[in-house]
Amino acid sequence: MYLLWLRVAAVLYAAATVAVFPAVLYGQARWKSVCVHVGGMALFFHFISAVEMLALAHRWVPVDLRQMESLLGFAVAGLFFLIWWLYQAISLGIFALPMTFLLVFIPALGPGGYIFPTQGVRTSWLIAHIAALLVAYAALGFSILASVLYLVQERRLKSKLRPGPNSRWIPFDWLPPLDTLERVSHATLEFGFPCMTVGLILGVVLVQETPLGAAYYLDPKVIASFVCWFAYVLLLLVRRSAGIRGLKAAYLSGAVFVVMLGVWAANLIHHVHRYGAR
Amino acid sequence: MSRNGASLVLVGVNHKTAPIELRERIAIGRDDLAETTRALAAMPGVLECMIVSTCNRVELLAAVDGPAVDPAQFLFQQFAVEKEVLEPHLYEHRDRDAVRHLFRVASSLDSMVVGEPQILGQVKEAFAVARAAGTVSGQLDHLLQSAFAAAKRIRSETQIGSNSVSIASVAVDLARKIFGSLNGRTVFLVGAGKMSELAARHLVQQGAGAILVSNRTQERAERMAEEFHGRVIPFDKLHDVASEADIVITSTGAPHPIFRREHGLGFLHRRRNRPMFFIDIAVPRDVDPAMNKLEGIFVYDIDDLQQVAAAHMEERSRQAVDAETLVDTEVERFHQRKLTVNAAPAIVAMQQKAEEIRMGELQRMHASLGTLSAEQMAAVEALTRGMVNKFLHPHMQAIKRAAREGDSARLDALCEAWSVAAGAAREPERQAVHDTRSPEPIEQAAEKLAALKGHDFSRAINIAESTRPSGPEGGFSGGSPAGRPLSAASESAEPGPTQDHIEARR
Repeated sequence: MYLLWLRVAAVLYAAATVAVFPAVLYGQARWKSVCVHVGGMALFFHFISAVEMLALAHRWVPVDLRQMESLLGFAVAGLFFLIWWLYQAISLGIFALPMTFLLVFIPALGPGGYIFPTQGVRTSWLIAHIAALLVAYAALGFSILASVLYLVQERRLKSKLRPGPNSRWIPFDWLPPLDTLERVSHATLEFGFPCMTVGLILGVVLVQETPLGAAYYLDPKVIASFVCWFAYVLLLLVRRSAGIRGLKAAYLSGAVFVVMLGVWAANLIHHVHRYGAR
Repeated sequence: MSRNGASLVLVGVNHKTAPIELRERIAIGRDDLAETTRALAAMPGVLECMIVSTCNRVELLAAVDGPAVDPAQFLFQQFAVEKEVLEPHLYEHRDRDAVRHLFRVASSLDSMVVGEPQILGQVKEAFAVARAAGTVSGQLDHLLQSAFAAAKRIRSETQIGSNSVSIASVAVDLARKIFGSLNGRTVFLVGAGKMSELAARHLVQQGAGAILVSNRTQERAERMAEEFHGRVIPFDKLHDVASEADIVITSTGAPHPIFRREHGLGFLHRRRNRPMFFIDIAVPRDVDPAMNKLEGIFVYDIDDLQQVAAAHMEERSRQAVDAETLVDTEVERFHQRKLTVNAAPAIVAMQQKAEEIRMGELQRMHASLGTLSAEQMAAVEALTRGMVNKFLHPHMQAIKRAAREGDSARLDALCEAWSVAAGAAREPERQAVHDTRSPEPIEQAAEKLAALKGHDFSRAINIAESTRPSGPEGGFSGGSPAGRPLSAASESAEPGPTQDHIEARR
């Protein structure tokens, strides 16, 4: 029975994760309410599940990795709600809730994990995983490009552009307005983020089926991918909350871009997760 | 002299030739323009006319019935200006020069601010007034349409009008480079001077939203706020409210900067780093230049704006050189087209004659052909028509080419070969007196040709007989008279007389 409650909790954590982004990034009160209520329910079912699971094992310590993951997820979610209760700080949920969902997701699949019914279904998941991550990387690339162009346009305007045959700024006449560049930069980031999240979740589902299990998460490329995701979230959060644009925004995007390049570079030194691997 | 043979004359004064005191004496208000144009049209020898009257120029354009007609006399009489006073400032262009001048005016190459877009609208308006007054028809209509096309081409193929050259429009352009669309942007007018009012008006025209006004004199601020449906901000609340504005236009008489770096930092903090644009048109300056160093704040003072405007002006001058070349091309094209139009009567006559021969021959062979079905008759009709068209095509092209090139000997030879009148195809001047043959009026010839093609032979004969001159050289010498009906025929797909005729008329 504990597995049912855990699955209910996993679904509710997923819903809370979806709600936390508009709640934090756009300060929307309705989403905040949804996030807190749904997340609270998830924590409640997670608690029931954990109690049943430990009671069933006739000992009050976790016996395997999946139980450990589930309890770690419970601890993360519990701490987040404690902080929210004490300080009304929901912003941390942007990290805590997706992390909890990822920790709960694998145990919720059951002791045997999820086995793809056919190779075709597995391939489809793989294609979706790759496509989602590539789109996310492309969006990030566009964002940093727009940020750099923003800097160029800003410098042009600051230097009191003097048109003329010898003006060094003439080649940049085609640049869009600053506001447009800022919108492009932000919109591509916001588009890329869900793609990256979905890509990672799909990857987790694919990993749990492999015999490597937890060893998979020790691969430098997989680690870099999760670091990239965290950096992405941080970038969105900082840009939105501090209204950062211009030079600082370009630096921030650049930092995440470097992490992304790290993911690609990790392709050279990894063991288990390689492009074009057979 | 026919209308097509009229010569063009353009007389006028502009900002380069006459001082404003003189221009304003002969300027014509919008309400009086139609009446004055009609008065000019009533002048002896004036066939068509129009008047362009703006703050920078007054120009009379007329198609006149000979070189003796002088529209300048109209200016002296109509405005009661002494000839000695006005004449030194007048310019006069005739025929090709008049066309060139008009094209330059419409393209804004003759304007005080080269490339400004208003003049084209003013010429169009003058043309519309003249048209409504019934003082323009064929020749000027064609000329003006060509002038508008030339102006359009110049605007699209050169950058002559692409950069702003006034302080206010430069400010608007810069605001656009920062904010993109100005829709909904808040503009803060600090100091209620004329210049800031003008800049604000430009911004509002481009969609700027809320207007805030602050001035040391509350009454003046209220007046301006009312004009823009804006909100008055007390002068001592200036720094509290400025962060609401995207664009701040300052023009106070303050001896020291009223916006300094520390204010800028505060604005950026309150605006969460959204950009702000300061247009400082005050002297001494109202905005500390150090503000421009803050990321997200853009400061342009009056010198900066003027330098941008001056650079744009230089750019326009460079573009004007290319535009002049385009004007020359367009003038030449207009001239060529005009010559081709003059060849139309000869071409129509040639078509008409060929059609008469074709029908005559068909009629002659009718008995030999025996009884033909409708389909067979249509086939014979299509065959003969196609042959005639193909045969005529190179000849008509040759006539048009000769007319374009002004090669009267070749034109005469071609027309002679077909026994048609060459007079209409020649230059108007050469045609004037000595051509004793009377070419059939083009409208009647075309009507007759249409009647023949539509197999309304009785009507064609009536038209031909009613227009045929009685003299030995009148009419057409060859072929049988058309008159007996034939069965229906299909149109040839070849480039036939009809297409050529249309082209020639064009």
